[in-house]
Amino acid sequence: MAVPTTDEIVRRIADLLGVSEAQVKPDVALSELVWDSYRLVEMAIELQDDYDVIFSQSDLSAVTTVADLVALVTTRAAP
Amino acid sequence: MLLSDDEHWVLSYYRTSEINGSLFFGRLARTLRPSPIQHDLTKHFADEAQHAWYWTDCLQRLGTRPMKLADAYQDQYLEAAGLPVNLMEIMAITLVFERRVINQYAKHLAVPDLRVEVKETIDRIMQDERWHVQWVRDALAGMEEKFGKENIAATLRRYKEADREVYAQTLAEHESRLGFLLDSAPRPEETD
Repeated sequence: MAVPTTDEIVRRIADLLGVSEAQVKPDVALSELVWDSYRLVEMAIELQDDYDVIFSQSDLSAVTTVADLVALVTTRAAP
Repeated sequence: MLLSDDEHWVLSYYRTSEINGSLFFGRLARTLRPSPIQHDLTKHFADEAQHAWYWTDCLQRLGTRPMKLADAYQDQYLEAAGLPVNLMEIMAITLVFERRVINQYAKHLAVPDLRVEVKETIDRIMQDERWHVQWVRDALAGMEEKFGKENIAATLRRYKEADREVYAQTLAEHESRLGFLLDSAPRPEETD
């Protein structure tokens, strides 16, 4: 699977969270977009499914912003 | 004979825990793509909801209504162990949790002079619980190639540790309410 672009990942995050792409800015904290921690887990599972990657608990606990999440997906999806 | 306050609280606590389990699995069942895991998880979700109904009905047959409880066992669990973030971690925490549930219900079944309504309810639930452990164990075995056998074993160890911590904490917090279970019932060996 090709490594997804930042735009693709941002579009997918916006879609999963039901917010506009404009809201999913790199420096925005995920906690501003997801108020419910279960929703964050659902989003993580969907992203792993979409891009055939695996996140661990420690991976996700290090993620604070949208840019962190995009970087995690990109790194994990890299061959 | 009227239900004691402690029994009333414990049965209500079981009901709340089953509801929380159902809501958690329901959200996951909605999230996952079609697969054997989605299939079994959806059944698991339905079972937990049904168990909540069994406890509601049991309490009614015992002449009372469920107490409204804010927290359930799972809340403390996730706080101690952290939220699982991939399917393997979800299966691992579920396996550890389901074993705890079976042990807890087995302890309750060992209470002398157990009310028939409670015994019937636990017996019905236990039939499903055994399947829950089986399907989750099978699902984890099927994930060994993707997640690594050692990684799965390490995750299970981490969640077992959290489970022991939370169970001890729950017993300490609710010692007086759970006393009738702990004092009178022999403690069955924990299954693994």
